[in-house]
Amino acid sequence: MSAREDILAAIRARRAKAVAAPPSYCAPAPPDSVQAFVEHATRANAEVRLIANETEIPQAVAELLRARNLPAIVHVPPNASNLPWNSAPGLMRERAAPGPEDAAVAIAPFGIGETGTLAYPSATDAPASWHFRAGFEIAVIRAEDILMRMEDVIARLKATALPPTLNFVTGPSRTGDIEQTLELGAHGPKVLAILIIQD
Amino acid sequence: MTLDPRAFREAGRAALHDPSLRIALGRLKTHFALGRARAVERYGDWEALREQGRAIRDYALAHLDTLLEEFERNVVARGGQVHWARDAKEAREIVLRILREAGAKSVTKGKSMVSEEIALNPYLDANGVEPVETDLGEYIVQLRREPPSHIIAPAFHLNKEDVAKTFREAHTALDPDRPLVERTELVAEARALLRARFESADAGITGANFLTAEEGAAVLVTNEGNGDLTRLLPKTHIVLTGLEKVVANLEHAAVLLRLLTRSATGQDISSYVTVMNGPRAPDESDGPQNFHVVLVDNGRTRLLGTDAEEVLRCIRCAACLNHCPIYAAVGGHTYGATYTGPIGAALNPGLMGVGVAHRHPNASTFCGRCAEVCPVKIPLPTIMRHWRAREYASGLAPKSMTAGLGAWAFFAKRPALYRFAAGIVACALKFLARNGRVHSLPLLHNWFLVRDFPAPQGKTFHALWTARQ
Ligand code: SF4
Repeated sequence: MSAREDILAAIRARRAKAVAAPPSYCAPAPPDSVQAFVEHATRANAEVRLIANETEIPQAVAELLRARNLPAIVHVPPNASNLPWNSAPGLMRERAAPGPEDAAVAIAPFGIGETGTLAYPSATDAPASWHFRAGFEIAVIRAEDILMRMEDVIARLKATALPPTLNFVTGPSRTGDIEQTLELGAHGPKVLAILIIQD
Repeated sequence: MTLDPRAFREAGRAALHDPSLRIALGRLKTHFALGRARAVERYGDWEALREQGRAIRDYALAHLDTLLEEFERNVVARGGQVHWARDAKEAREIVLRILREAGAKSVTKGKSMVSEEIALNPYLDANGVEPVETDLGEYIVQLRREPPSHIIAPAFHLNKEDVAKTFREAHTALDPDRPLVERTELVAEARALLRARFESADAGITGANFLTAEEGAAVLVTNEGNGDLTRLLPKTHIVLTGLEKVVANLEHAAVLLRLLTRSATGQDISSYVTVMNGPRAPDESDGPQNFHVVLVDNGRTRLLGTDAEEVLRCIRCAACLNHCPIYAAVGGHTYGATYTGPIGAALNPGLMGVGVAHRHPNASTFCGRCAEVCPVKIPLPTIMRHWRAREYASGLAPKSMTAGLGAWAFFAKRPALYRFAAGIVACALKFLARNGRVHSLPLLHNWFLVRDFPAPQGKTFHALWTARQ
């Protein structure tokens, strides 16, 4: 018998109990998902800024870079190329994938209030690896796209199709592997800033 | 360093006298246990969540065959492949075959305990494929040629000075006079070196925290982002995992995630949770072109339907280790096995055989903390007792223990004699005591090194009871 047949036969021979499907579960949640998002993302070491509308994005990006004394260069994935970038003269845009010290913009189609999480389905115009290659990720999300729970995001995506890679990102990359003490920027971004568009 | 669960006692003795290990183990309480307690409190109705987690895992185990078939169908439908391995040897061979077909010479690895369990790295090395561990802790222990000492913190036993020394010895191409004192410097050095390895790897191997049948997806949790670079940059991605990791759907996995990260590191969620659903789409610019899942049995199905079955609910959060007085005393390497602490004690006799791992279920004070903190309510001490009974039945229990139990049984079956003997022992203890406490007894020297007990006061229980009637 093949390993597959063998294993399945072994499971069928041994499985004894009948077990009913678990009841559905709804995690406790605060009333306001955006407020919860800001609170949790901040606790997870992300820097959150509220902006009024899309036109403020380029200026906000330029300010974030300046505040960290970083060069005014940002890597822009295809799905963010249509933003009104010209409103921030002096901010250079790169199309190539970012390196470990570079800043990159990322558009998050969904957020999760329960945990302050950004959800990024991979797509042709939204390469998944950018979320891990960059040293500084600047995420952009609309307030109305911040849902309460991970299950809500899954339901929205399942309504169309799940992408090959679905990344849930909460705060910058971190490790506690040396003396169980938090260090940010293990392999992925050292800094995560989130711009929430309120309009 | 070789792994030998039979040498538990000798290894434990050495560990107890290792001063730098004592410092590292001190961090269990201050870092892990405290973080978990706070996260649990923040959550609200933790008990309801645990109950849901238990039900989800029980449902999955009761439908393991159909869920695995459904998982396989859906992986294939999305352009991936599923491989089944009965044991460690088969699993190693499958992985090597996939790597050979991909022409892979170097492979990056996200942390996978199953990879440790099947001893994959030495096998790949011997067969001309270079494995590079990319989880920082796992990378450190790989450089030191040590196994991980903790299931979620592989380098738990080390202090930063140890890591600095390891890096200086291994990273010989770097300036020998570079500063390497702060943790930040150590992390930055590993980040830079490993990024180059990610970019040049031909294949990537990760574990999975959950497999979801309905979607054919593998769900991976990391804090560093190393699992994602391992999946996304090379051409071929292999998910290597135990077959018991399957659950019905992504919604079930979402519930278990809430339990996992809070129990593990005290985080409401880890920095990265990734749903890995087949290879890249044809028009995508990154992601793997080939996607494989290797389902490893290696003793797991054998546990179904036994008294130890519930151990298969485990989601490998390590909370039981972090709250275990034995683990806190001897550390992970003492176990000589991949799985350590209470989960090791409950799982290893099943995976490795009672004859090999029978010391593990004996390494317990039966304080019960592990079962209290286990997010999926595994009755760990009960399962350890099950293995102890099996050990006794197969004649593996130490001679002193069988003799002692035999002597006790002899008296217990003869109540008059028992009462008489108990009276004599009580008198003798009173006689041996100083200031009302017994400080030593023949044959129990080690036990009394760190404790004593009060001398019997007055009459035996039997005598008191008879008097009351
Ligand atoms: S036995 Fe329970 S506490 Fe221990 S690792 Fe598994 S799930 Fe966590």
